Amino acid sequence: MKRILLSTLVAGALCAPLPALAHKVIASVYPSGAMIEGEVGFSDGTMGVNVPVLVSGPDGKVLATLTSDDEGFFTYTPTQAVALTFRADLGAGHVATASMAQDEVARIVGKGAAPTAAPAAAAPDTATSAAPDTAAAAGATSPSAQGATPPSAQGATLNAAERDAVAEMLRDELRPLRKEIAAYREKNDLQAILGGIGYIIGLFGVGFYVAARRRLAQAAS
Amino acid sequence: MHIVDGALSAPVLIAGAALTAGGIALGLRQMTLERIPAAGVLSAAFFVASLIHVAVGPSSVHLILNGLAGLILGWTAFPALFVALLLQAVFFGFGGITVLGVNTLNIALPAVLVGLALRPLIAAGGPRAAALWGAVGGAGAIALTTLFVAAALVFSGDAFVPAAKLVFLAHVPVMVIEAAISAAAVVLIKRVKPDLFAGAPAVAAV
Repeated sequence: MKRILLSTLVAGALCAPLPALAHKVIASVYPSGAMIEGEVGFSDGTMGVNVPVLVSGPDGKVLATLTSDDEGFFTYTPTQAVALTFRADLGAGHVATASMAQDEVARIVGKGAAPTAAPAAAAPDTATSAAPDTAAAAGATSPSAQGATPPSAQGATLNAAERDAVAEMLRDELRPLRKEIAAYREKNDLQAILGGIGYIIGLFGVGFYVAARRRLAQAAS
Repeated sequence: MHIVDGALSAPVLIAGAALTAGGIALGLRQMTLERIPAAGVLSAAFFVASLIHVAVGPSSVHLILNGLAGLILGWTAFPALFVALLLQAVFFGFGGITVLGVNTLNIALPAVLVGLALRPLIAAGGPRAAALWGAVGGAGAIALTTLFVAAALVFSGDAFVPAAKLVFLAHVPVMVIEAAISAAAVVLIKRVKPDLFAGAPAVAAV
């Protein structure tokens, strides 16, 4: 049996570098201007194409049904400031959920309602990593996160449209990175596998100990 | 094969957990000193084998080895596979904690059924018969597992026929491979350690 196990392992190790469709589904959502953008895919980096995504509120009521595009992306424009749950169902038990907290949704809703009134206040709730860059691009004027000064008061700052364009660009640039991070997070490294085997050996060692003690006690009595 | 958190409805989860707890209790009662090393090895084999994804045609599959575990361990397959599934859920997010009961049931019960049905045949037959029954056990356990997975999905609201077809078809290559591996392993064990099959699993005294 050892030989079988060994050859199985070797065969597996040889095949491991091949691109394989892992069966784990991952989904993530993030703010994108006045919309919520999300993506759904498999843990190895391939995207979920034409996947139905159910959007539901905190009470579990379905608010909308979306379908991901051919790159696994979907967008949703929230109308109420409630916590949202996105559930992608690829069938046969392949399900992934992602959620967005109420305050984050509230900011997006606020932005959608008044896109020109508070563009600076909305800057931080674009993709989090994009926000500092946007602020940097705005120059060394007053911190944009304050939102107290309208953009027109500062001659050198970007206007709302430009800001959105920059944010959009950054999102596009960051997308491959985000995908890569998602795939990386799902990677099984050797240490974890060896650790798991160690746990199994240890657990069965404990079982062995208990069983042996019981037998010794039986023999003694 | 590993159903993830959130795919199943609560009654299915509870029923799965209860049945698995029963199976584990039964398995632990039959876990004799002699059988612990085999259980550990098969648990580790399952743990590693189902992490390795082998590309077959357009998709990829992983081995499960539950047929082999059932043939060797009988009811003890329940605790052995449970431990491996628990560690997979904790370490790699395969499956999940809430679905652990259902996943263990889906994988271990077919193992036990195959073991109960085929162990006497393997113990009684010659090497050729052992190879045949080993192959049948390896493939049969996977087939049963796919049916169980489909059933779990159906009780949670999916339509049975498409769900079953999808899971079953995806695992046809696994069945072929597992049949070969189980047959080879059974023949090997028959030759080097025939008493592994000789003891009647269902009545093993503690």
